[in-house]
Amino acid sequence: MDFDLESLVHVEQSFYDEGYKDGFDHGRIHGLIEGRALGREKGFEMWEELGFYEGFALLWKGIQEAQGVKDDRTAHNIRHLLELTAQFPRANPSATDASELDIPRLFRQIRSRYKALCAMLGVKPTLRASGSSPAQEATEDPGKTPVASEEGNGLWKIDDTRVSVPPKDYSF
Amino acid sequence: MDDDSPWDDNVQTLKDSEWSKISSDFMNVGYREGITAGKEAHLQQGFDEGFAKTGAPLGREIGLLRGFASAILSFLKSPACTVEPSIHDGLLQDARAIFAELNRIRFSDIVPPDPEAEQHEREHLDTAAADRDDEIVMNEELQQKRDLESLEDMMGGMGASGAGSKQEQKRPTQEDVTALAARLRALTTSIGLPFPSIN
Repeated sequence: MDFDLESLVHVEQSFYDEGYKDGFDHGRIHGLIEGRALGREKGFEMWEELGFYEGFALLWKGIQEAQGVKDDRTAHNIRHLLELTAQFPRANPSATDASELDIPRLFRQIRSRYKALCAMLGVKPTLRASGSSPAQEATEDPGKTPVASEEGNGLWKIDDTRVSVPPKDYSF
Repeated sequence: MDDDSPWDDNVQTLKDSEWSKISSDFMNVGYREGITAGKEAHLQQGFDEGFAKTGAPLGREIGLLRGFASAILSFLKSPACTVEPSIHDGLLQDARAIFAELNRIRFSDIVPPDPEAEQHEREHLDTAAADRDDEIVMNEELQQKRDLESLEDMMGGMGASGAGSKQEQKRPTQEDVTALAARLRALTTSIGLPFPSIN
């Protein structure tokens, strides 16, 4: 049999390409699924905490108004806290724009605003409403929250892209 | 030599099998590298989608309710509280109960299913019953959290049910959240406070 080496190399490449394409399509599905699971969890975690501060401030705002309290400092604090939580993105801006928001900093500001408000109201602060989360101590730890990417193209980059993919045997 | 010699046949078979081995080897290599590349290329897209469409709104819903409940609780306990003493204790009890139940709710209790993940898992079961190493693996961090939660459930069960009682506490559902929100609203208005409208 006559072997044309050139064409054999081509054939190998085209087998590889064929496999690669199928693998890529399959990997795409897994990437979307796993990314979605992570994003859901992170989004919930962050906004559960933020929503807690927001809800706390909103209801106290109502109390102050209902009681006709003229306490400018507390009212100011509430307003400021609500402004801060309103600034916090509800979507990961990495997808849309390269905004200059410093997320860990904003989070710290919101937490200390909340603590200050509690002090003014004479209320014991509840940090992290959820009793079930192991991240209870997350309050003083800015590094715990998803890292702001230094490449500047995303606020929450997925940190574990090195996930190993179990090999799949391709069969005909 | 005999043309029908079985030897010739074997050569042909050998060639064929050699050929299909080469082709499948290259395809396998391509497939593996492709699956990794495809996955990494789409993790971020999935993350953004899950964050914006499910995680953030769901978390905010629960967070707001907890914040409301916490504020009411602290109001009822504060000296600023103007509620009638005759009904005060009942309201406080109610607020405590609502707050405690809200705090029991976990992300995993109320997260809606991911249809694409479920469908893909079924496909894996259908096509690759034999090779088990290609199941959808849960992210390690998430898996640890789930494990911890089931440990909590076990501990909680031991405390609550005591000896022999097989009545396990059911996990809350989205309907429970809706019911708790209604209770909270009723409590808030009964104290004479506006229930905040949220967007």
